[in-house]
Amino acid sequence: MALAKGDPVLSMHGIVKTFGGVRALDGANLEVEAGNIQGLVGQNGAGKSTLIKILAGIHRPDAGSITIRGLHCPHLTPRQVEHLGIHFIHQDRLLVPTFTVGEAMFLGAEPGIGRLPFLNRREMARQATTILRDHFDVRLAGGALISELTPAERQIVQISRALLRDPAILVFDEPTAALVRREVDRLFEIIRRLQAKGITIVYISHYLSEIESLCDQVTVLRNGVDVGHVSLKSSSTTEIVSLMLNRDIDEMFPKRAVPIGEPVLKLNEVSARGAFNEISLTLHRGEILGLTGLLGSGAKELVQSLFGLVRLHGGTIEIGSERTKVSSPPSAVSKKLALVPEDRRAHGVALQMSVRENVTLASLQRFVCFGFLQPGREKTATNELIRKLSIHTASQASPVGDLSGGNQQKVVLAKWLSRQSALYLLDEPTVGVDVGAKVEIYRLIGELAEQGAGILLLSSDLLELLGIADRILVMYRGQLAGEFNPANSTSADLLSCATGTSAVSEYVNAVSAESGR
Amino acid sequence: MTDEGNGQNRESPKEPAREGSVGLMEPPVATTKGDGPPINGALLLRAGSLMGFVLVIAYFALVAPGFLSVGNITNVLEQSAILGVLSFGMTIVMIAGGSNVITGGIDLSIANNLGLSAAVYAILLKTGQPDIVALSLTLLTGLAVGLLNAIAVVSIGILPLIATLTVMNICAGFELVITQNTVLQASSPLLAVLAGDGPFGIATLAYLLLIIGLILIAVIEYTPFGLRLYAVGGFREAALAAGLSVNRYIATSYILSGICASIGAVLSVALLSGSSTGSGDMLLSVVVTALLGVVFSRRLVPTISGSLLSVLFIGFLINGFQLTNISSYWVNGVEGLLILFAVATTSLVRRREA
Amino acid sequence: MTTDTSPTPSAPTGSASHPSRQSEATAEARQRSTDAPAPETIPQWLHRSSALRYTVILAFLLVFTFLSVKAPGFLTLSNFVNILVNNFTILAIVSLGMTLVLLTGGIDLSVGTAMDVGSLLFISLISAHQNFLVAICGGLAGALATGAFNAFLIGGLRIAPFLATLGTLFIGESVQQLATNGGQPIYLITGTLAPAFIYIGHGSFFGVPFPLSLAVGLTVIYYLLTERTSFGRNTVALGANPSVAWYSGARVRYTSALVYLLSAVTCGVAGIILSATIKAYVPLSGNAYLLDAIGATFIGTTLHSEGRPSVIGTTLGVLLLSIVTNGLLLIGWNFYWQQVGTGVLIFFVLATSFLGRRFRR
Repeated sequence: MALAKGDPVLSMHGIVKTFGGVRALDGANLEVEAGNIQGLVGQNGAGKSTLIKILAGIHRPDAGSITIRGLHCPHLTPRQVEHLGIHFIHQDRLLVPTFTVGEAMFLGAEPGIGRLPFLNRREMARQATTILRDHFDVRLAGGALISELTPAERQIVQISRALLRDPAILVFDEPTAALVRREVDRLFEIIRRLQAKGITIVYISHYLSEIESLCDQVTVLRNGVDVGHVSLKSSSTTEIVSLMLNRDIDEMFPKRAVPIGEPVLKLNEVSARGAFNEISLTLHRGEILGLTGLLGSGAKELVQSLFGLVRLHGGTIEIGSERTKVSSPPSAVSKKLALVPEDRRAHGVALQMSVRENVTLASLQRFVCFGFLQPGREKTATNELIRKLSIHTASQASPVGDLSGGNQQKVVLAKWLSRQSALYLLDEPTVGVDVGAKVEIYRLIGELAEQGAGILLLSSDLLELLGIADRILVMYRGQLAGEFNPANSTSADLLSCATGTSAVSEYVNAVSAESGR
Repeated sequence: MTDEGNGQNRESPKEPAREGSVGLMEPPVATTKGDGPPINGALLLRAGSLMGFVLVIAYFALVAPGFLSVGNITNVLEQSAILGVLSFGMTIVMIAGGSNVITGGIDLSIANNLGLSAAVYAILLKTGQPDIVALSLTLLTGLAVGLLNAIAVVSIGILPLIATLTVMNICAGFELVITQNTVLQASSPLLAVLAGDGPFGIATLAYLLLIIGLILIAVIEYTPFGLRLYAVGGFREAALAAGLSVNRYIATSYILSGICASIGAVLSVALLSGSSTGSGDMLLSVVVTALLGVVFSRRLVPTISGSLLSVLFIGFLINGFQLTNISSYWVNGVEGLLILFAVATTSLVRRREA
Repeated sequence: MTTDTSPTPSAPTGSASHPSRQSEATAEARQRSTDAPAPETIPQWLHRSSALRYTVILAFLLVFTFLSVKAPGFLTLSNFVNILVNNFTILAIVSLGMTLVLLTGGIDLSVGTAMDVGSLLFISLISAHQNFLVAICGGLAGALATGAFNAFLIGGLRIAPFLATLGTLFIGESVQQLATNGGQPIYLITGTLAPAFIYIGHGSFFGVPFPLSLAVGLTVIYYLLTERTSFGRNTVALGANPSVAWYSGARVRYTSALVYLLSAVTCGVAGIILSATIKAYVPLSGNAYLLDAIGATFIGTTLHSEGRPSVIGTTLGVLLLSIVTNGLLLIGWNFYWQQVGTGVLIFFVLATSFLGRRFRR
């Protein structure tokens, strides 16, 4: 059925979904007009994923109605959804790593050899190559293995997979989570090209800037309800932010004043082969030292090397005023270093272990008496930290997997607080944490500094650095490229330093416009 | 919810996420790939393994006269037939279950399923049932055990390792009940054919091993069904997203494995002219051959052809030992070292590539 | 909530057939549940109360009651002593090692090998008229050697435990066959045995048979080790997520190597006790305990909400298996039917427990 641009092509009305007594969706609405790029935003836990899973036929709504291309669909199944021409591009890039590009693209609708029920691998590879070249200008052998592709290439393979099935609506669920900037631009170009072909797009993200530059209409979800439908022609991102948060952006970064003490960490010309060269820096008690740099600048490796995860090949480290070596995480922990890793669920918390077990994991020796752990003391200490960090958990015995992302991150911080660490290495501590929890984590970082800890904050969120750091170091190609005082710098300054150019004016303008600095 | 997916087994993206346009720009990355497959560790490993196979055969051919005679090769094929068929079944389960041995697919009941099916076959023949009845009931037994595994793993959700372990015990119990722990002699026209020689004086079992192997290679490696099995085992969520009913494929893999066990049972009754006690002892050899097969595949995944190669490899090895008068007590040890070697090298290659 | 976790095979959600993997949406629901306390509904009863978690205990009580009524002589003191000495002791000791290993997320298929090697050296040294203590040390050292081999493969070469210990098992079989000329048992001549030898097999310790008191002692030690020491906590962390353990400063490879050493030595003890009881070394006899030990440990995991192995759970599992074996014998089932009965029982215990876990998700 042909639809004119602007006709409603998909509408979900009054959707309610309850999981075990918890309302994930509480009467949410979503209207999508044909030919548009419709944005869907909301914090973690706002119900975006549930809404999309209902649309995909994976979950069945408790109440509400769904109309797709004029058809009323009370009981969607994944197959039916596919027949209706709705296809999904997931953030996980759901492709089997051991498959070839062709196999991955055609899985589920494989061409046969004539009438024989055998796989026509040659045909799959050929068609795959053609599609990639014609639609995306990507030269990829159809026989290449998925595991050899970059995340962006896998994303494109996924989109091609959907295109094979002649979609009417394409749903992108957080498609940029693993993409770098350039790849994101390219993806947007592709999405606009798809729109030009008459395909309706639903784009889900929590990166507002993406929504702003891409979408025509935006639906904002909060607590399982749609709290606003905004046309981006007539309103700004700040409006969306306040809808999402129900609070003002200026409250994000709590201000504090801490006297800077004596040095806790001194690096003298440390180098790691292939990562960074002769870096010298000093971190003081009570100081929050910001660090940033592109992927490959060596900033991440620098932080990892301080925790013994990357080997140093030269230079010396002084902790306190003692020259030491950090050869492995155990030795780092014994020197009262703490690392909050970027990938929280892979390296930060053990999801199946209880809150208490996670909190005391790095400081078990504290609770040992005559060789045995003292459960009473463990409980008291954990309770104290749960209160201090306001970790929302049913009890200290519940598995950390039951907690939200922000609370899991607080558990990681609690683990190091329990260790009474003196030096905190924070690697992107607010990635994947919703805005509310971010503010609490900033407050905590501030408190740590007040209590005299030294903090090295590695972040690629420049606003965050400018908001809470006392000093910001920028790395470029394995070198320290600049030092900035947040009070009189802008994210544009940091950005041009990090990219090693001043020819980034268009981004600079965009960034400064958004940050308002 | 993006960070709440809780896919612990899923690989997490290695690239750091950025925060909108406030984040940083990346230097240009070329997004073209060469056309030919790159020379990589997996390929080297595969070539090395094949080379090892050839070297072993060459060595025995040199030191043991008659090793490469048609009669001896037939003999190896005949002796490998049972292990081979079981190994195919195990491979199918491993394909659909994924590579993690503890949480992924494994069928520990397969050898005892063979024992039970063989007992059923022998007792039916002994009580005078015609071949066709005995044969169908035997296949049905294997299928029923496979179904039980499928229910335990898919419907109930017990870990495959432990589910099939329990079913294994049940099979062993029923086998004992039927045979009273004795060898049941059996004979029938069909068995006479199976135990005899086919065309060119080559044993029928040798033909059967190759025929079953070729059929399964065709089904598993060259049909959409096989591809989907790999998808289910390789990345469950991807298979789900492609609209496959994942559970049905996993269940099918256990049922196929059960059928393989009962086919193996028929071959075993033919080879030994009766049921045998202690068929459960084959289990670990089956696991070893199915795992060893991985090094013979380009993508380092279990394949039927790889398992066939590894079964033949071990068959030739044992045969070579016999011909050169090396004590058979060494066989297990060599198999153990082989599996350690195979696993150490595959994991090394995987780590390199990761 | 049953709609999206329906256990039918055709359920399109395909909701986790692996129990520890949960669907995204449930995780979301859990996350939200921390914000607002959920009202109690009927599924909630299944969700949070752990009714189905206690299936082991329930099965235990049911079996116990059934056998008390049906099996003549089951409910007597002498029979209980009999169960504990003949069915429980060895399996209980072996299962302790298995529990520790499974706690780290690994598996030890070579427990039988460690038993056999320990017993082989012990009996060989005794029959060569060596000092009893030398023989004990020799036996333990043999077991330790298999453990060290595993530790090297797993901690050093980082081979997956299932495959590493599978390799050890195979190599162990060859070693034993070569050492015993293809599996000839070594029998001891009864008259010449040292009193200490008789004691560890058949003596009594404050009125309790020595092997049993040893098993109880080891169980207590293992309980304290796993529940109340930092080493035990590190093994749990290792099992839950090795990278998290590493990033928290735990010495991961050291811990996992130590676990396999401990498991092997514990099995060596079991092997020595077994051979002292039967006054002989029978090659490859240890493998009989492998699957029962795994089974008992997994039955025990049903006690924990996240499916974690525990010493108490394992001991209960071993006890359940021992009682069933003994009871079925008393009822008059022969060995063959016993095996079927035990298998079916374990199947149902595991099935209810895993179904229960699936409901909670």
